[in-house]
Amino acid sequence: MEEDEFIGEKTFQRYCAEFIKHSQQIGDSWEWRPSKEAFELPLDDCEVIETAAASEVIKYEYHVLYSCSYQVPVLYFRASFLDGRPLTLKDIWEGVHECYKMRLLQGPWDTITQQEHPILGQPFFVLHPCKTNEFMTPVLKNSQKINKNVNYITSWLSIVGPVVGLNLPLSYAKATSQDERNVP
Amino acid sequence: MTDDKDVLRDVWFGRIPTCFTLYQDEITEREAEPYYGKDSSVSFNVVSSLPSMMLYTLEWNRILLLLPRVSYLTLVTDKVKKHFQKVMRQEDISEIWFEYEGTPLKWHYPIGLLFDLLASSSALPWNITVHFKSFPEKDLLHCPSKDAIEAHFMSCMKEADALKHKSQVINEMQKKDHKQLWMGLQNDRFDQFWAINRKLMEYPAEENGFRYIPFRIYQTTTERPFIQKLFRPVAADGQLHTLGDLLKEVCPSAIDPEDGEKKNQVMIHGIEPMLETPLQWLSEHLSYPDNFLHISIIPQPTD
Repeated sequence: MEEDEFIGEKTFQRYCAEFIKHSQQIGDSWEWRPSKEAFELPLDDCEVIETAAASEVIKYEYHVLYSCSYQVPVLYFRASFLDGRPLTLKDIWEGVHECYKMRLLQGPWDTITQQEHPILGQPFFVLHPCKTNEFMTPVLKNSQKINKNVNYITSWLSIVGPVVGLNLPLSYAKATSQDERNVP
Repeated sequence: MTDDKDVLRDVWFGRIPTCFTLYQDEITEREAEPYYGKDSSVSFNVVSSLPSMMLYTLEWNRILLLLPRVSYLTLVTDKVKKHFQKVMRQEDISEIWFEYEGTPLKWHYPIGLLFDLLASSSALPWNITVHFKSFPEKDLLHCPSKDAIEAHFMSCMKEADALKHKSQVINEMQKKDHKQLWMGLQNDRFDQFWAINRKLMEYPAEENGFRYIPFRIYQTTTERPFIQKLFRPVAADGQLHTLGDLLKEVCPSAIDPEDGEKKNQVMIHGIEPMLETPLQWLSEHLSYPDNFLHISIIPQPTD
């Protein structure tokens, strides 16, 4: 069985470096934080959502970490109202966009749960990584077929991000195509 | 000579005598009514000779319990919750949480790990304070239901198998097998649990062990909650890696210099295995039910 769908830690770092480069170019606020043996991209994002009662502003913070157990990136995030009140797991489940709701309801406890951030030790919500390879393999195989360079992180984040309210500007995808000649 | 299977039983049935006391600021109702268990004449100090008595109530705001090392706090404290809720006003009760000497206790860590890491150098019983108010959102995960504990437990098992077998063994199991693992833990059923878990301890005949060893190393002196890395049980030359090899590679500060004084204890399930012990053997016999080796590095107690 091919190991294409897994990415090693060095490869993860390389893709992250390219991703950050573009983030800096467009003024997106991703940061690279090399902590002792792992890497993360925290992003402060503000999003306005309509709730039944009133418009509430929710602040999201996203971190991308590398899981050496699954050899894939994992998305951690936390969310709070502006007064600092954190959202509950139930709030997060309820906030998932309609088009992903079905998948979530099939197995909420397998999809998004609260877990301890492995570096910060604080509670975060996590999108479970065990199914990552299922949807990344076709993406990678297809890109090989049409001989197009793909930044794994950009592709992965553009697939999983929207489930939890993170939408990447299209320019990230275009940036990868432009770098085609430079990537070894 | 102890059989290897006896080790599995000893690990599973390990217990910690624990005294749960309700946080005094949360006592809002009732006069102090002494409330004793069946043998009120039995002295509190004779804890060691109470193997069959699982629960002993001392006072209305204190309960003594033998906690299973391999389980989780929120899974085994229903009696504690029910008992203390009787002495509180309904409106004051919110999610239960536990604390030891000011440190909120992470329910998602196995009980034995919490004890070894935080309280093993103190005298028994382990004194835990129970809270129902002011949940520490920044420190603790919420535990809204038993489903949360099951999800966490199964998630750990899946990660362990991803390391050991590229998830092949656990993914081949049926849902009912996964349920049996959880029910075995929940109901303290050793045979029920191991009937399935033994499959997760197998490896191909041509190999000498698992692909990687699921482990986490904990120290209270570091920022990061634990160390976890990829580590193979067998070296390239076929030699079995030992516990000492693991520490040298991922946590060298834990190893004491040969000629120097012993500074640290390397503890699993309340014991200090010899550093020469093969890691593969430790993984098969001293893992917690989640299939991880949870290892505590604690300062050598000075007494």
